[in-house]
Amino acid sequence: MHNLTEFLAKYKHWFLFVALEVLSMVLLFRFNDYQGSVWFTSANYVAGLAYEGSSKVTSYLTMGEVNEALTKRNLELEQQVKALSAQLYDKTKDSTFLHKGQYRFLSKFRLIQAKVVANSLDKPNNFITINKGTWDGVQKDMGVACGNGVVGIVYMAGIHYAVVIPVLNSKSNISCSIQGRDYFGYLHWNGGASDVAYLDDIPRHAKFKLGDRVVTSGYSSVFPAGVLVGKVKHVYNSEDGLSYRLQIQLSTDFGNLRDVCVIDDASIRDQREVIKAAQDSIKPIEEQIGNKAQ
Amino acid sequence: MNIDFLKRLLWFTVLTVAQVFVLNHIHLFAVATPLLYIYFILLFPRNYPQWAILLWAFVMGLTIDTFSNTPGVAASSLTLIAALQPFVLQLFIPRDSSENFQAGMDTLSIPQYTWYVAILTLIYCVVFFSLEMFSFFNVFEWLQCIGGSSLLTVILILVVENVRRR
Repeated sequence: MHNLTEFLAKYKHWFLFVALEVLSMVLLFRFNDYQGSVWFTSANYVAGLAYEGSSKVTSYLTMGEVNEALTKRNLELEQQVKALSAQLYDKTKDSTFLHKGQYRFLSKFRLIQAKVVANSLDKPNNFITINKGTWDGVQKDMGVACGNGVVGIVYMAGIHYAVVIPVLNSKSNISCSIQGRDYFGYLHWNGGASDVAYLDDIPRHAKFKLGDRVVTSGYSSVFPAGVLVGKVKHVYNSEDGLSYRLQIQLSTDFGNLRDVCVIDDASIRDQREVIKAAQDSIKPIEEQIGNKAQ
Repeated sequence: MNIDFLKRLLWFTVLTVAQVFVLNHIHLFAVATPLLYIYFILLFPRNYPQWAILLWAFVMGLTIDTFSNTPGVAASSLTLIAALQPFVLQLFIPRDSSENFQAGMDTLSIPQYTWYVAILTLIYCVVFFSLEMFSFFNVFEWLQCIGGSSLLTVILILVVENVRRR
C-alpha cells in the first residue's frame, strides 16, 4: 500500500496528463452529437458577451458596405414588387389582393431579429454565434436567413446566445430546389471559397440553365419554401455519374454578415413534430436490423 | 495568491484576449494563423510543478476552444505541449544554471532560444491541425497550415520575447 501511494505521488503528473487528454478528447468527439455541451462553445454567456462587445466595435468599420448592399437589394425588391403588382393588376384589376396576400404570407412566420457576434470563414467547420437565445424564442433546428438569402440552421441555443451551423460547414445539409423547375437536391459545402457551395442529387433528366435561381425547397422542416440561396454557376457530374452536382454562387455574403433573422414558423413546428414522431415510430425496426438509427 | 500566480494570470488574460480578438482573425495567404498563446507554456521555468503546468495549459486551451468553437482541439494539444515542455527545456539548459531557470533571450543564446520555441511550436501545430481537420483531410492544405502557422507563430513569439526581455 505504501509503495502504491509513493508510486502515485511520484507519477501524479502523468496521471493528470492522461486524465486531461481524455477529457479533451471526450469534448472533441462528443461535440457533434452532445447537445448539452453549450458551455464550452461560444453560445455560453461570457463568451457571447465578449464577442458582442468586439462585434459592436468592428461593425462600424463595415457599415458603409453593408448599407450600400442593403440599399441595392431594397431597390431590386422594390422594382420587383412594382413589376409584380402591375402584372397582378393587369390580370385581376384588383389592387387589394396583393396586400392581403403579403399579410397572409408573413403571418405564418415570426421573425426573430438577431445580430451576428462571432463568425468564421476559413475553417472546415465554421460556426456563427448570434445574440439571441431560448429566452427570445430561438430553438434548435430553426432556420436562419439574412436580407440576401439563406444563412444556416440553429445548432445549439443557450439562454442568451445561439450557435448557428452556416452553409459554410461540412455538416450543413439544406434541401434546395431550382426555382420554377422544382427539381430538388441537398446543398453541401466542402471547404475553400466562402461564396460557393454545391447542390447534390439533381437528377440527370432535370432541365435548367446556368444562372437559374436556387431557393430552399420547403421539404426539410427548417426553412419555408422560397428563401433565396444563390444562382447556378457551373454543372458537374456527380462521382457515381447518376446525378448532377451544381456549383452554386451563394447570394449571402458570409464575410460581411451582421444582421440576420431566425425564422420561427408555426406550421413548420407542427411538421417537425410529426416527422419526429414518425422517426420515433420506425426506430425499433431500424435498431433490430442494426441500421444506423440516428 | 503569490506574486508569481498573479503574474501568470495576467499573461494568461493578455494572451487569451490577444488571440481571440486579434490573432484568430489573421489568416495570412489563407493558411497561416499565429497561435501566440503557446508562448504561455514556454514561460514556465525549470522545476515548476508539472501538474501545475498541465492544469494551466488545459484551462488555457479550454478557454481558447470556448471562444473559437473547437471544443477539445486546443485543450488537448496544449496539454501535450505542457507535458513535453520540461523535457525540451532540459535540452537547452546550460550546465551551471540556477534551480528555477527560465528560458528567454537573455538566459539562452538567440539560436538556442529559437530552437526551443520552434520545436514546441512545430509539435503543437502538427497536433492542433491534425485534430482540427479531422473531418476532411487534405494533405497539402494540412502541410501548408502547419508550415505557415508554425513559422508565423515562431516569429511572433520571438518578437514578443524580445520586447519582454527589456
